[in-house]
Amino acid sequence: MSHVAVPAESVSTVPPIKAVYKHLDSLMTGIAELKAAGYKNPTVLTPFPRHEVEDLLYEGEPSPVRWFTLVGGMTGATLAFSLCSLTHMNWPMILPGGKPVVSIPPFLVITFEGTILWGSLFTFIAMMLFTRLPARNLPKAVEDPRFSNDRFGIVLENVGTQDEHKIKHLLHHSGAEEVSGGSGEAHHG
Amino acid sequence: MSNITYDAVNRDVLRPLFTPSAAYVGGLGLVGLGLAIGGYCWYQQLTWGLGVAGYHPPVFWGVYITTFVFWIGIGHAGTLISAVLFLTRSRWRTGIYRAAEAMTIFAVMTAALFPAIHVGRAWYAYWLFPYPNQRQLWQNFKSPLMWDVFAVSTYFTVSTVFFFIGLVPDMAAVRDSTRGLTQKLYAIMCLGWRGTDRQWHHYMAAYGFFAALATPLVLSVHSVVSWDFAMAQTPGWHSTIFPPYFVAGAIFSGCAMVITLMLPLTIIFKLEDYIHVWHFEHLAKLCLFTSGILTYAYGTEYFIAWYSDNIYEWGVFTDRVVGNYWWVFWTMVICNCISPLFWYIKKIRTNYIGLFVVSVLINIGMWFERFNIIASSLSHSFDPGAWVYYFPNYIEWGIMIGSFAWFFLWFLLFVKIMPSVAIAEIKEQIRPPLKSEEEAAAK
Repeated sequence: MSHVAVPAESVSTVPPIKAVYKHLDSLMTGIAELKAAGYKNPTVLTPFPRHEVEDLLYEGEPSPVRWFTLVGGMTGATLAFSLCSLTHMNWPMILPGGKPVVSIPPFLVITFEGTILWGSLFTFIAMMLFTRLPARNLPKAVEDPRFSNDRFGIVLENVGTQDEHKIKHLLHHSGAEEVSGGSGEAHHG
Repeated sequence: MSNITYDAVNRDVLRPLFTPSAAYVGGLGLVGLGLAIGGYCWYQQLTWGLGVAGYHPPVFWGVYITTFVFWIGIGHAGTLISAVLFLTRSRWRTGIYRAAEAMTIFAVMTAALFPAIHVGRAWYAYWLFPYPNQRQLWQNFKSPLMWDVFAVSTYFTVSTVFFFIGLVPDMAAVRDSTRGLTQKLYAIMCLGWRGTDRQWHHYMAAYGFFAALATPLVLSVHSVVSWDFAMAQTPGWHSTIFPPYFVAGAIFSGCAMVITLMLPLTIIFKLEDYIHVWHFEHLAKLCLFTSGILTYAYGTEYFIAWYSDNIYEWGVFTDRVVGNYWWVFWTMVICNCISPLFWYIKKIRTNYIGLFVVSVLINIGMWFERFNIIASSLSHSFDPGAWVYYFPNYIEWGIMIGSFAWFFLWFLLFVKIMPSVAIAEIKEQIRPPLKSEEEAAAK
C-alpha cells in the first residue's frame, strides 16, 4: 500500500498536511471521513499498534511477511537436512550401532533448528523490507515526538491545492486538536 | 493501570535511564570484582591447560557443564514469557517481558562461554561449527553435542532478533525524549521508526511469526540439552523422561530468576505502577506448576531405576540419596520440591520478601540439580574400581563466579540503556482516551 494518495484530477500539490489527535475515536472518524472523501491511504501515526486502525486501512490485505516466513522455513529445512546428509555421504561410514549413513531421526533435530533459524531470519528481512526500515522516504511531517508519546496523527501528502481547504476543514471537524502543514496557516482545535 | 496516561508511561519508564546512582556504581564494582576473579581463573586454565580444573578420571564433566545447563535453563523463561504468553494473549506478560527477554539473551551469552571454557583450548572452539575445509572433514551430525551447537546458536540468534524487534518502537520513544548525541544514537537504534500504519501493520505480522517460531524453539532447546545426557549410556542419564523433565526445570528456574531480578528492579526504579505483585504472583504460580512436574519427574526417575532392575542404574540412584553427594541431592530436593510449596500460601507469594527468598532458593536448587545429575553419575558409573569423589576446585568456582558477574554486567548495562518495561505494549493495555466519553462525562 502506498503512502501517497493522489486524486486523479490534482495538478499542483501543497506540502504535507498534518493532523494531531488526542482521542482515538476522533482519529477513527478522521480516517473514515478521509476515505469517504477519496483519500484512501493517509499515513496514520500511533504510539502503539491499534487494531481498529489496521482494520480500517488494511481490511482483507494481510501482510505478505507470511510468505517470507514460509519460504524461509522451507529453505532452512532443506539446507539443514542437506548439510547433514551430504556431509555424511561424503564419508559413508557405517559406525558401530549400524545406523544408516543418512539417518532420519538424528538429522531431523538439525533440520528443525534450520527451519526455525531461516524462518526467523526471512521474517526479519521481510519485516525490514515491508516496513521500509531503516526508514526512508517518510515526509518530515511525521517527525513529531508526540507520536511516540501520547498523540495520534494523520499525515496527508500530495493534496491538491484546490482540496487543501476542504481536507483541513474535514480533519479539524473530525476532532483534531491541531491541523498544520499545507500551504501555511495552522488550525488549532 | 486504567488511570495511567500515555505520557506518564514514557516519563516513568524512561526516568531510570542514563543517570547511574551510587548503588548502581557499587553494583558495577562488584561485577568488576567477579569478572576479575573469573578472568584470572580462566587465564590460569588457558595457560596451564584443563589439568588445573578439578577433573580426574572418569569425571570430565563437572562445574562447567553444570553451569552451562544452568544458564541455558535460565534463558527459557524469557522466551516463554515473550513468545508463548504473547500467543496465548496473557495480559500479565506485558510488564515483565522486556526484562525477561533481556535476561534470556544474557543467560545464553553466559552459557555460550562454557563450551569454550570446557573444551580447554578455547581458540579451537570454532571447530564446533561446520565450515568448508580442505580435508573435507565434517562434524558427526548424529552426535547430540552437534545438535546442541545448532540448538543453542539458533536459540541465541532468534532470541536476539526477537528482542531487538520488540525494542524498536521503544527506542523511538527514547529518541523523542532525548537530545543531542544521545538522540542521534537512539535514532540509529530505532532504525528511524515513526509508528506509521504501514510500519505497525507489517511489524505486528512479523512479531506474531517470531512468537510462533520461538515457541517450539524454546521447547526444543532444552530437550536437545537433555539429549547431551540421555543419548549416553551412563547410568542416571539414559532416560526418555529427560526432555520434558529438563524443559520443566528450565522454565521453573527461569521464572524464579525473573522474580529474583525483577523484584529489586521494580523497587529501585519505582516501577510498581507497571509491575505489580500480581505479575510476580503469576510467575510464582508458574513456578509452582513446574515444580510439581519436576517433583513428579524426580519420582518417576527413581521408580524406573528400581523397576528396570538394572543394578547400575539403581546403584547410581541410591548413591545420590545416601552416597558422597547426599548433600547435593538433599539441597536439590529441599530447594526445588519443598521450598516452592510455601507459595501455596497467598500471603507468602504476594509478599516481596517471601517471593525473593524462595526464588533465590530455587535458583540454588536448580544449579544443584544439574550438578547432581552430572557429578554423581560420572563418579559412580559402571566400574566400582573407577569410582571417585569429584569436588570442584578454586579454578572452577572462580570461573563460575565470573559467569555470574558476566551475566549481571550485561543486565546492569541493559537497565540503564534500554527501557526495561515495554512502553508500546503497556500503552496498548491502557484504555484509550475517547472524545465521546469525555463529552458524556462533561454533560
